[in-house]
Amino acid sequence: MSLYEGAVKRPIMTALCFIAVVIFGLFSFSKLPIDQLPDIESNTIMVFTYYSGASATDIENNVTRPLESTLNSCSYIKHVTSKSSENVSVVTLEFEYGHNIDDLTNDVRDKLSMISTSLPEDAGTPIIFKFDTSMMPIMMLSVQADESQPALYKILDEGVANPLARIPGVGTVSIAGAPEREIYVYCDPQKLEAYNLTIEAISAVISQENRNIPGGNIDIGNETFSLRVEGEFKDPTEMSRIVVASFGGKNVYLSDVARIVDTTQERAQESYSNGRKGAMMIIQKQTGANTVEICRKVNAMLPQLQKGLPSDVNIGVIVDGSNDIIQTVKSLGETIAYALLFVILVVYFFTGRWRATIVVAITIPLSLIASFIYLAVTNGSLNIISLSCLTIAIGMVVDDAIVVLENVTTHIERGSDPKQAAIHATNEVAISVIASTLTILAVFFPLTMISGMTGVMFKQLGYMMCIIMTISTVTALSLTPMLCSRMLKLEKRQNKVHQTIYGPIQKALDRLDVWYAKRINWAVKHRKTVFGACVVLFAVSMSQAGRLKTEFFPSDDQSRVTATIYMPISTNTERSKVVAAELARKWMDRYGDDLKVCNYRVGSADENNTFASMQTNGTYVISMTLSLVDLKDRSITSDQVVADMREDMNNIPEIERFMVTAGGGMSMGSQSSAKFEIYGYDFDETDRVAQEFISRIRNVKGVGEAYVSRDKYQPEYHVEFDREKLAQNGLNLTTAASFLRNRMYGSMASYYREDGEEYSIKVKYAPEFRTELSDIENILLYGNGANAVRVKDVGRVVEEFTPPSIERKDRQRINTVTCVVAGGSALSDVVSAGQKIIEDMDLPEGVSVQIAGDYEEQQDSFKDMATLAIIIILLVFIVMAAQFESLTLPFIIMFSIPFALSGIVIALALTGTSLNIMSLLGGIMLIGIVVKNGIVLIDYTILCRERGMSAILATTTAARSRLRPVLMTTLTTILGMIPMALSHGQGAAMWRPLGVSVIGGLTISTVLTLLLVPVLFCAFEGVSIRRGRKAHRKQLELAAYWNENKAEFLHDKTARIDMN
Amino acid sequence: MKSILITFDQAYTERIIDLLTRMNCRGFSMVEQLMGRGSKTGEPHYGSHAWPSMCTGILAVVEESHVDPLLEELHAMDLKTEKLGLRAFVWNIEKMI
Repeated sequence: MSLYEGAVKRPIMTALCFIAVVIFGLFSFSKLPIDQLPDIESNTIMVFTYYSGASATDIENNVTRPLESTLNSCSYIKHVTSKSSENVSVVTLEFEYGHNIDDLTNDVRDKLSMISTSLPEDAGTPIIFKFDTSMMPIMMLSVQADESQPALYKILDEGVANPLARIPGVGTVSIAGAPEREIYVYCDPQKLEAYNLTIEAISAVISQENRNIPGGNIDIGNETFSLRVEGEFKDPTEMSRIVVASFGGKNVYLSDVARIVDTTQERAQESYSNGRKGAMMIIQKQTGANTVEICRKVNAMLPQLQKGLPSDVNIGVIVDGSNDIIQTVKSLGETIAYALLFVILVVYFFTGRWRATIVVAITIPLSLIASFIYLAVTNGSLNIISLSCLTIAIGMVVDDAIVVLENVTTHIERGSDPKQAAIHATNEVAISVIASTLTILAVFFPLTMISGMTGVMFKQLGYMMCIIMTISTVTALSLTPMLCSRMLKLEKRQNKVHQTIYGPIQKALDRLDVWYAKRINWAVKHRKTVFGACVVLFAVSMSQAGRLKTEFFPSDDQSRVTATIYMPISTNTERSKVVAAELARKWMDRYGDDLKVCNYRVGSADENNTFASMQTNGTYVISMTLSLVDLKDRSITSDQVVADMREDMNNIPEIERFMVTAGGGMSMGSQSSAKFEIYGYDFDETDRVAQEFISRIRNVKGVGEAYVSRDKYQPEYHVEFDREKLAQNGLNLTTAASFLRNRMYGSMASYYREDGEEYSIKVKYAPEFRTELSDIENILLYGNGANAVRVKDVGRVVEEFTPPSIERKDRQRINTVTCVVAGGSALSDVVSAGQKIIEDMDLPEGVSVQIAGDYEEQQDSFKDMATLAIIIILLVFIVMAAQFESLTLPFIIMFSIPFALSGIVIALALTGTSLNIMSLLGGIMLIGIVVKNGIVLIDYTILCRERGMSAILATTTAARSRLRPVLMTTLTTILGMIPMALSHGQGAAMWRPLGVSVIGGLTISTVLTLLLVPVLFCAFEGVSIRRGRKAHRKQLELAAYWNENKAEFLHDKTARIDMN
Repeated sequence: MKSILITFDQAYTERIIDLLTRMNCRGFSMVEQLMGRGSKTGEPHYGSHAWPSMCTGILAVVEESHVDPLLEELHAMDLKTEKLGLRAFVWNIEKMI
């Protein structure tokens, strides 16, 4: 018993099987996490090696280069980049995608153990660090505070950070911009000098005084008591009463030479939200944890935490990583709902029967829900890829059911009993249904095999489409016949209401059939004209292809703009703060309600702050995050905001350079950038090339901003000691340097303990004695026993510029110019402009320029896609050739593919959409979709030929009969995509190009398939008829020849036999 | 006894077996997949790409009295759904065991 026969004969079993699938699918659905993208395994490993005291050049030669040459031999390496700066070397290894990062790490570890002996002795052991997407913060909270500001760190740490960190899945919660409490002992150098005191001495006294010392045990009577000396300060003010020295027989108290200040860190990053000072909290997740789930829990916990905080401390959300995801998923959900509605309407429009519509439409939820089981089994998630896959599939899953339904209806109309009709009709079309699904599988299965970043994205899509299409075919061959046998019956006369509504549609469709048959009749008789016209159309559309803009990934409005602003190096925090406040005020006024939070951080971050230390920071760096309201509620796009901000900053001469990005780089879809890598050993030359290049590319339209990766030479004050003079005074360099450090940076005396927390007590010069160069020069250095000398007596203070850190890529020194593409412009324009500039420039010897960044990825992916397209075309050809048992027919059908390409080009050009990975994906999908139309048409044409019709009659009949199924399946796909192409929700920019290209390609290619395929069929058929006639004529001639010379042949033969 | 060969479009199968049962014609032999085409009208039934439908053949041996009512019913059935195709042929049974 075949599948469909069994299904029709056992309706209960069939129905229940599908219900079971639905239940299991819905159960899986409820378990599915929501995420932005499928899990992307990281492909980057960093190797940190510390070598204290070495300069950038030393590090480069002694650490980085040996490491690079050894690590370069690791397998699957794509690029080795490195940064050698003072004290540290960072080598970054970028691997090809799709390899297990743990295996790669082991490989790196082995290579490192090989080289560790040849590194300098003082260099530390290289540390391996796996870069992971979980490093990206998932949430940023703003904290505003007034009077609680000094204690903010502690309040936040205890009241917010710790409870949040207890949420399962939360990795770390770091606090930025809230300085930690510190106790400073600010000394007056003159008073110290007067009492013959030093910072070191005071520091030692404080450390000695601030102690709790156990004194052993004492037995008194029958009892044992422990003995303790409790000397630790109960209050910082106690310190002022410490005796630090005796001078002239009198006690010198600490308060005589210094003042004790219980305050916060001197140098700390400050954070401002909407103009109010406060802090910022950064939440990172653990690897593999679910962003949406964590953010939901954090959001639920915040009001509760807020209650426990002082009334002036307000917590707000700057960035909620889940927001984008939820919005995106929601707008995709809407897209799916619209697509479903459109598809159902199309089916009703063409069949005119609600029962038929139900039979077909039921395939959609079934196939889609079944795909959730796959997602749940493979630990997948609901993300952009899996959901757009559902949207794409909606229009395609009904195709098989439509074919089956159509044939069953024909059988019923011929007088068959619905049950018998369902079995026999399905039997008749089963092979072609399976074949058409195979063509789709031939398209989507290879998608699972692409490598690289694109592969990560499309693997899930490929598998899901394969599964959905397979399920839809199984449904079409089992559930659809079963439902047909139960629900369809010979149509009675329709009621009046239905006839008034549907009557005109029916008539219009009938007229369309006739009209089309007439056109085909004309076309097949004017084959050359039609073919010529099609070729011209193709050529014209292709000539537009050169004008298309290309980019890698479409950039998306993520309601967030981040800016890193660099003031001239050595600008102090105060000045940076003023500029930042001015900018923030300006933007807050301008964007008003469109702006949710404007947060900025100024100053150098504490080393303990994991998040901030990973980012650039310093007294001259301003980091700004503008969080905008959702796209639908705002009047301005984030690209415009970025453009405005860039203009504003260009007008402030004080700002040296800045980087503004829409999207904040937290996920894919932020603005793309072109990187021009300038390779060359000589710093000056590469710097000069970079500067010249940057000044020229800045004038190119479409370049939002351009900056160089190499830092500027940093001005510093160096104290150069005269070693001989130091020695004469009983000093050495280390002692002298530590004197300097203790006075300026401070000496850690001890810890002050309160409520289980430790705060450092630092002894240093009071701030007013650390403002001028002469303050450094006047520092007293005490040698062994001898008199004190001043710094200016044994050395001098000079201004120097330290060399920048040295960056290398693939074992060559490199200086990178990054050009961020402005909103609305395409990467390809910037790259080609850049290429032109490079060609025009006179590059010094040994300097070369290469294009990398998104462009490199884009080129790789485009190349992958092209290979894929060829493989898919071959596979589809094989499937069709096997089905038709012919090589000519698939060839004819394949003619629809070039027109899909013209359609894509025309659609992209008309809508101004750029060619990117998503529109290419649309193109690849089209290969499978468009040939389906050809298959339907050709299949019926050869059927008509086999039934004995002439070639022209067969094509006209087939065209007329197959017009509706072709239009129906095409319209379901096109209308299924329309919500995708028109959607303006969050994240829509990502898949809009896909929708546009599928709609364009499918429309043009369907129209032309309907015209060109019959014409080509007739042309090829004509050739084969002529060839047949020729063969027949030859055969006749041969027969005639035989008859004429029969006697001669036979005579020859007899003669030969006689001779033998 | 007469033998009746009924050849028909597969879609009739259930209806015809029902008819035979109703008419009290117990014995018959059936060939489920049969190819064929009519002498004048009707689509060929070849199970091929061009003509995908198939016939079924039933050879029933019935009492003489049953023949006419059976043929009448079959004819009525054929007239009702002419497009499917149904034919019956009757001949004598010479001997049987």
